[in-house]
Amino acid sequence: MIAEAANTAEVLIDCQSVWKVFGDKSAAAMRSISERGLGKREILQEFGCVVGVSNATLEVRRGEIFCIMGLSGSGKSTLIRLINKLITPSGGKILVKGKDIAALSQTHLRQMRAKNIGMVFQNVALLPHRTVLENAAFGLEVQGVPKAERLETARQALEKVGLADWLERYPNELSGGMQQRVGLARALASDPEIILMDEPFSALDPLIRRQLQDEFRGLTKELGKSAVFITHDLDEAIRIGDRIAIMKDGAIIQTGTAEEIILNPADDYVAEFVAGISRLHLIKARSVMRSTAEFQNAAPDLDLRSLAHTSPNADIDELITLTMQSEHDAIAVVDNGQVIGVVTPRSLLMGVKGTGGSGLAAA
Amino acid sequence: MDTSAFTDAFDATTEDVLAWVSDNGEFLFDYLRWLLEGLYEGILAGLEYPPFSIIAILVALAGWRLVGRWFGALSALALCLCFFMGLWSQTMGTLSLVITATVLVLVIGIPVGIAAGFFTRLDRFVEPGLDLIQTLPPYIYLLPAIALLGYGPATALVATVVVAMPPVIRLTSLGIRMTPPEFIELGEASGIRPSQMFFKIRLPFAIPSIMAGINQSLMMAFGMVVIAGIVGSGGLGETIYGSIRTLDIASSINGAIAIVALTMVLDRMTQSAARLGAGKSA
Repeated sequence: MIAEAANTAEVLIDCQSVWKVFGDKSAAAMRSISERGLGKREILQEFGCVVGVSNATLEVRRGEIFCIMGLSGSGKSTLIRLINKLITPSGGKILVKGKDIAALSQTHLRQMRAKNIGMVFQNVALLPHRTVLENAAFGLEVQGVPKAERLETARQALEKVGLADWLERYPNELSGGMQQRVGLARALASDPEIILMDEPFSALDPLIRRQLQDEFRGLTKELGKSAVFITHDLDEAIRIGDRIAIMKDGAIIQTGTAEEIILNPADDYVAEFVAGISRLHLIKARSVMRSTAEFQNAAPDLDLRSLAHTSPNADIDELITLTMQSEHDAIAVVDNGQVIGVVTPRSLLMGVKGTGGSGLAAA
Repeated sequence: MDTSAFTDAFDATTEDVLAWVSDNGEFLFDYLRWLLEGLYEGILAGLEYPPFSIIAILVALAGWRLVGRWFGALSALALCLCFFMGLWSQTMGTLSLVITATVLVLVIGIPVGIAAGFFTRLDRFVEPGLDLIQTLPPYIYLLPAIALLGYGPATALVATVVVAMPPVIRLTSLGIRMTPPEFIELGEASGIRPSQMFFKIRLPFAIPSIMAGINQSLMMAFGMVVIAGIVGSGGLGETIYGSIRTLDIASSINGAIAIVALTMVLDRMTQSAARLGAGKSA
């Protein structure tokens, strides 16, 4: 349901076949990529250029958290910097709020970065000689907001991330997790529509990381922000992202919800990645249920109405609990008052294993 | 092969050029001399006007604020030592020479250092220039300065400024270039203007390095001040130079003790000021 709502929302970031080639001869390399279709290795051999991002296409809609997942060197940090033009793309087009950022003047680009796109960095980059409050107000200071006003806005932003008691401290007095909250508050203080998160939690210990992930997701949704979130951790991408793009060697190899990626990995690389991920909270009744007709053929004497009911979005974990509580070994999936399918222990096992409905139909 | 003809020609040319500059730029050098001596005399008058005890108390207070109680007391003691050796007015002369030279060094050196930090192309000219200044023996600067500015504090000042200039230029330009890249990125991602990038990001990160440069330049100025005694700098430098010429070992040692005392007081104070300036980022 959420995914469908997002599909109709306005597209905030639209990357169309974006390329980035690093090196002195990047222009020539780009030409030969488009004319002769050279691959990454040929480009390196022939031009000495490194392909950072190759032909990446993605859309981020208003209110959506879009995760880009990839290992180091996959080009994800380059890709996120193309969105606010910290790095200038070698090819393709990037529209932010419908405007081609390549065509913006320096002034307009600065305004876009100051007002519309916030950014949070892995290394936080808090100015060491400023207090927490002054750091959080930095973006507003750059925009020329009067002092009293910007400190008040920054204070509110720090309150949102739970640092109201630390305003007058210096960054070196804060733990890593707290510093990253200040980074987030600094990005939020300018009230941008889009927040770019460049592996913000990677350097934190696991417990703090999970806590910040949940807080970040909650806060982003509550404030109605859109976010592009870079991570090398698939668990993190699944926890935070509405949709996930998986990158390898500069290219996006699959984009979709966590469930879509786990059920239908695009290739062996993705399949290997998702192999270790627990399906319990990712796979929904909708994906594993059997059709009512099929079920009634197998058990003609069982009345569908006597079964426990659930919604199509119930996950495997809930379905298992329901099955344990129910007197029958089947659960009816109800949507708009209609029974649209049945979940059996067999479908539960398939779900846990991570094989989708198509696999079941064949069984 | 006899090269004396070549050498003679070269020397003659050098002298001609110097004479030409001296003749044609006379009004310019007179003006420069007037300016430098005015600055020096002004500061000296300020230091000599109050009685010795007031200066000692002020220095003690500054030492206490900047470093600590003990250092405050010690620096007052150091000044008393200079006074009781009968070298008070010489000490103040040296102090005003050093202060004047350092002020000039900062006024010229910091902007040049900043520019060199920003423009690599400029830095390519500045660096060899500084190397040259630091390789040549400091005495070299005295003679042409005498030719142009005459015997006296103005010449001593120019020579001191030249010698003390390199550290502050080098360390300022280093500080400007050493801004951590993640903060440059932060600035750009925040939509910062170039002037804001300088004042809000580059400069604060460069301050500790600039402070270290100021301290180094001050020390170089002290070193040069004694040498500048040869050209009539006045102050302790001339005391020491005079006693060397007359082989008056005792009074040369007095002068040396006064110089060391003054140097240590100022060194510790500027070091602490540098730390305080950089303090919050530590």
